[in-house]
Formats: sequence, structure tokens, C-alpha cells
Amino acid sequence: MSKHYIKGCYYYPNSSQHQQCFAASNKSQIQLVDSQQRNTLLSVLITECQIESPLPGVASELNFAGGGRFVPEDINHRWAFTHTKTGMSERLEKSKPLILASVILIPLLLWFILYRGIPAIAVYSVSLASPATVEAMGNQSLKVIEKVALAPSQLPDETQNNIQQQWQQMLDELNLDSTIFRLSFYQSDYFAANAFALPHGRVIVTDELVTLLKDKPDALRAILLHEIGHVEYQHGIRLAAQATASTIVLAVIFGDLEGITEVVLGSSSSFLQQAFSRDMEREADKYAIEKLIALGYSNNDFADAIQALQNKLDEQAQLDDSWFKYLSTHPSSQERIDFARQYTPQ
Amino acid sequence: MEPSTDFNESTTNGSKQSIFQGRVQFGGQAGEFFGIWSVNILLSILTLGIYSAWAKVRTYRYFYSNTRIDGHSFDYLATPIQILKGRILAIIAFIIYSLVVQFLPVIGLLFALGFLFSMPWIINQGLRFNLRMTRHRNVRFAFAGNYGDALVNFVLLPIASVFTFYLLLPYALKRIDQYLHENISYGNKPINVNLKGATYYMAALITIGVAIGGLVIFSIFAGLGGVAINLTSFDTDNFNISTLIIPLLIAALYVAFLTIVRAVYVSIIRNHIFDSSEFEDVASFKSDLKPVEYAVLLFTNALAIIFTLGLAYPWAKIRRARLLAMATEVTIYEGALAIIDTVEEQQSSFAEEAANVFDIDISLT
Repeated sequence: MSKHYIKGCYYYPNSSQHQQCFAASNKSQIQLVDSQQRNTLLSVLITECQIESPLPGVASELNFAGGGRFVPEDINHRWAFTHTKTGMSERLEKSKPLILASVILIPLLLWFILYRGIPAIAVYSVSLASPATVEAMGNQSLKVIEKVALAPSQLPDETQNNIQQQWQQMLDELNLDSTIFRLSFYQSDYFAANAFALPHGRVIVTDELVTLLKDKPDALRAILLHEIGHVEYQHGIRLAAQATASTIVLAVIFGDLEGITEVVLGSSSSFLQQAFSRDMEREADKYAIEKLIALGYSNNDFADAIQALQNKLDEQAQLDDSWFKYLSTHPSSQERIDFARQYTPQ
Repeated sequence: MEPSTDFNESTTNGSKQSIFQGRVQFGGQAGEFFGIWSVNILLSILTLGIYSAWAKVRTYRYFYSNTRIDGHSFDYLATPIQILKGRILAIIAFIIYSLVVQFLPVIGLLFALGFLFSMPWIINQGLRFNLRMTRHRNVRFAFAGNYGDALVNFVLLPIASVFTFYLLLPYALKRIDQYLHENISYGNKPINVNLKGATYYMAALITIGVAIGGLVIFSIFAGLGGVAINLTSFDTDNFNISTLIIPLLIAALYVAFLTIVRAVYVSIIRNHIFDSSEFEDVASFKSDLKPVEYAVLLFTNALAIIFTLGLAYPWAKIRRARLLAMATEVTIYEGALAIIDTVEEQQSSFAEEAANVFDIDISLT
């Protein structure tokens, strides 16, 4: 038996009683001795001792079969007989190169997962969604939005019919199924002059938008094409799938790090949503411009439409784009107008 | 469970022989925890989240083991496999829930309603698991709350308080805290908690006062900021640094405002809970957390985390634990030597993980 005594505390099984003592170990046995009289309190075989995975800054305690425990006073003491395997995590956690590597790798990996991995999975999983699911999703979304923000259209029937005809003609020219691509009009104070597409192919145009563009039928057509683009690329479902997937991934990786989820990820996940959404707007813009040209109209129609919407916005509020660009779900209007005007078909 | 000593003459203080009085000690080191934290996140990502169960256990063990009363540390007893199983179940439930909410919003509403009624059960199971996994000396804690009480305190009273223009809210919060703490026992020794509604109403009034004061200052700054934005956008179409800095300043002020309001309320209530709780003949508590000190700490923590893009998180967490430990005084009596552990084995961590993933915060301040 070695003469090396480890000072610590022995806790009796299932009780709050404890005793200061010393532990001595040899190759096969551990002995606990009383601090004063050097009486043996306990003598156990090493094979009957359990040691939890060592952790930096935490004492390595011995758990005995009956429920008793010996906790060394020195938190840095490690028992000679522990297997090298159990100390693996601790060695990694103390390794300076690995800590440095983590600091560099974690943001890179997160970026890769959130901006490359998840969108790819979303595109794939969306291709698995059945048309019936998409239809149900679109209908339910519409019900919710109708309740919250939409009122029946006040437009005269004649105006509605004209636009519906223009819509039908456009669908025919593009070989699109008119049972999927449907156009509806609503009055909405909430959305004001706006249009949006639901995942199952219904496009909603507000009375306010029709009124705004009543002298510019070409511009309205460009906006309708932009919305068709959203449906064609399945943006609605992709966004929903990406939102779900990112929430799950962030919850798995940062599951219990409450503080960081609040401060950093709370904002970054909504920034992420908006970044996805900006990319999708660009995709839909490009679709609209390409189809305008294919159908023999001008790419400037789209620029005019955005310009008209922007002018309307400017009337309402003087907003500075350079800051709000980062916070908005759409690319800045000027960027979109320039893109449309300078577009050259490949 | 009275200790049979000669001191057993009078009713209260006379019979209690205190054997220790002192502050809770916290020995965690930011540098050490930084290594544990960063390497664990890296391993969690590389193993597609599986290692996160080990990471959780290691983080909890680090904080529990470094928290000491009278030289004896706490222990966190959950095993990574328990956490992993709970987490897998919770994540499956969460995936189903969020898919339904995203894709079928109407059915999602029904789900949310069902979730509301399963919440008391989840909260109870989570508390039960967490307390059973907490040990001090060789005795584990336990939680004995039931579904009915939890439903009243966590669902019905808060809803009722909405219909009373929140006049009932401080009372509802008091009931929640009373429920959370009075069901705790240390081995075979139940806790006595006697919270006072008056303190909660006082805390609410003080917090509202601070909030109004803060809002006035905040809106003055925000107003100035708004004017500045208009001025700068007037003469430049291009990127201008001040258009970035002013919103950032406003955001920082907003964080400061929230942390101060939160710190004021939390410190009043925490002090009250500790001062009104005791394990009779075993231990009594005293907390003297200072609102200003706590607010400054929370605010500097938030700033540090934001400006280091998260790297200061381990430092912030350690600092907070140290301050809370230092603000807590424990007196231990002779009865503490005769506590017996009564907790039976076999517990699932599903509910606790469900509570985590669904973001129910049930921290015992």
C-alpha cells in the first residue's frame, strides 16, 4: 500500500452524515482512514468503485457499491487507476488547440448548416409534399389571413373581370394550369397596396394595389408574374420547411444554453428568415422579368411597378433604406428596379 | 424528527443549534468553463446534436459541483442517456407540433390548446426530474406537486388575471412561486415556504415605477435618434455610419431598460423567497441580492455577449452564478446531520426536455 494519502470527505449511503478522512489506494484496493486515529473506515476493491467521467474543475469522486461516496478535497486530483477512455472528454475540454479550433469552426459550421444544409433539405423535402397537403396548407393559411387582415373586395365587377381575363390569357401563354393558379381580390387596410401568393397557387391582390396601378396594366401584369414565380418555385412551403428545420437544428445544438438562445439566436433566426425571404424575392423578380420578355413585353414594366409601390411608400414615410435593408424581407427597391432595367436575357 | 438534546426547552430559536452560518460559495472559473462550453458545442454540431446530451450533463455537473454550502458541493445526477432519450422524444413531439402549426394552422390551434392542458403535467415532471437529479451531501431533493394545483397556478390564475386588467397578476405570480417551492423536500424533510402577496404587489409597483421612469428616458433618446436619422438620410443617399450607430444605441438602451426592469423585480422576489423558506431544524436561508448590482451585471453580460458575438457567454454565466451565490446566506442546524434519502429510482427526463424545447421557463430563481 502506498503511503500517499488523499484528503477528502466520506458521505455515508443515503444520508446526510459525513466524515473527513483520507484515502489511500494501491493497485487493487482503496482504503479510507480516519483523520485522527488512522482507523480504517472502509476498504473496497477498485473494481467495485465507480468514477464519473472527469470534468475540469470538478473533484473526481469515488462511488462505492453500497451508495457511499468519497470526494477528494483537491478538485484537480485524478485517480491513477481510471481508464484512459473516461478522461477523453476532459482532455479535449482542456486542449488549447481544440478550444481555438472550436471558436473558429463553430461559426463556420453553423453558417454552413443554416445557409446551405437546411435550404437544401427544405428543397428536397418540399418535393416530397403531396399536392393535397399543399392545398390544405394554402387553404388554412388563407382562412387565418382572411380573418385577420382581409375584407371583401370593393372593386367594380368590370375591373375584376378585366384583370381576370388578362390573368387567364397569361396562364394560357405560359402553359400554366388555371385550376392551380387562381386570382382573388380583397380589400385590406393591413396589407395596403400589395399582392401575395399562397403555396397552393392562389394569388391575392388588394384593391389598393389595383387602384394604384389602374393606369399601368403592364406593371400589374409584372407583379402578377412575380407572384406566379413564388408559386412556381414553391417559395411558401420552402420557407415554412426552412423555418421548421432551423428551429429544430438550433434547439438541438443549443438546447439548454438559454442565455445564448435569447440574445444571439433569437435575433439571428429571424434575420435568417429574412435573408431566405430576400433570396426568394430575387428569384421571383428574375422569373417575372424573364417571362415578361418571353411574352413580348418589356423588362421595364417590372421596374415601373416597383417604382410605383416605392413612391407610394415614400408618401407614407420617409424611411432610410441603407439601414432598413437589413431588416426588411425584400431587397431594396432601388436594387430591384436597377436589376429589372439592366436585365439582359442570356 | 426533533433532535433529542437538552436544548429542547423553548419553541423556536432556542431548540435550534446552528452548526454553520455562511455564504454559498461558487468556485467556477470562466476560462475553465469556456473550454468545456466551446468544445462541447463543437462536438454537438459534429455529432449532429447527439453529444448535446453529454454536453448538458457536463455543463450542469460543472455548475452544481462548483456550488458549495459549508464546503459540501451539490451534485447533478442525471446521465447523458436519460437526457438523450428525453430529448429525442421531445424533439419528435416538437417536429410534429411545428409541422402542424406551419402547414395546417387551423389544426395547429387545437394542438396549442391541447398543449396548454398538458403544460401543468410537463412542468411537474420537469421539476420532479430536476430535483431528483439534485443531491447535496448524500441526500437527494424531491418535488411533490400535483396536476390540479399546477393547472390552477400555471393556467387558470394567469388567464383569470388577464380578465382583471392584470390586477390579479402579482397574486398569480405569488401562487406560482409558492407552488414551485412549497413542494420541494430535501430527503425526508419537507420545506416550509410562507410567501406574502403584499410583497408581490409591492414588487410589481416598484417595477412599474422603474419601467415608467425608464420609458421616459428611453423615449427621449429614441426621439433624438429618430431626428438624427431623418437628418442624415436627407443629405446622403449612400451608406452613412451614423445611420447604423443610432439604431444600435437605441437597441442597447432597450436591452438596458429590459434588464433593469427584470433585475429589480427578480431581486425583490428572490430575496423574499429565500427569506421566507426553511427546512425546519435543518437549514434556513437569507438572500440580499441588490437590484442595482444585479441590473448592472445582467446589462454588462448582455453587452459582452452581443459584442463578442457570443464568445463571452461562459464568462457571463459564471459571473452571474458567482453573484447569486454570494448574495445567498445559509444557516445549517443540527437536524441537517440526520436527513435520510428517500427518493426511489427510475425517472424519465422526457418532460424536462419537452419543457426545454417548448421554451417553458421554470427556473427556480
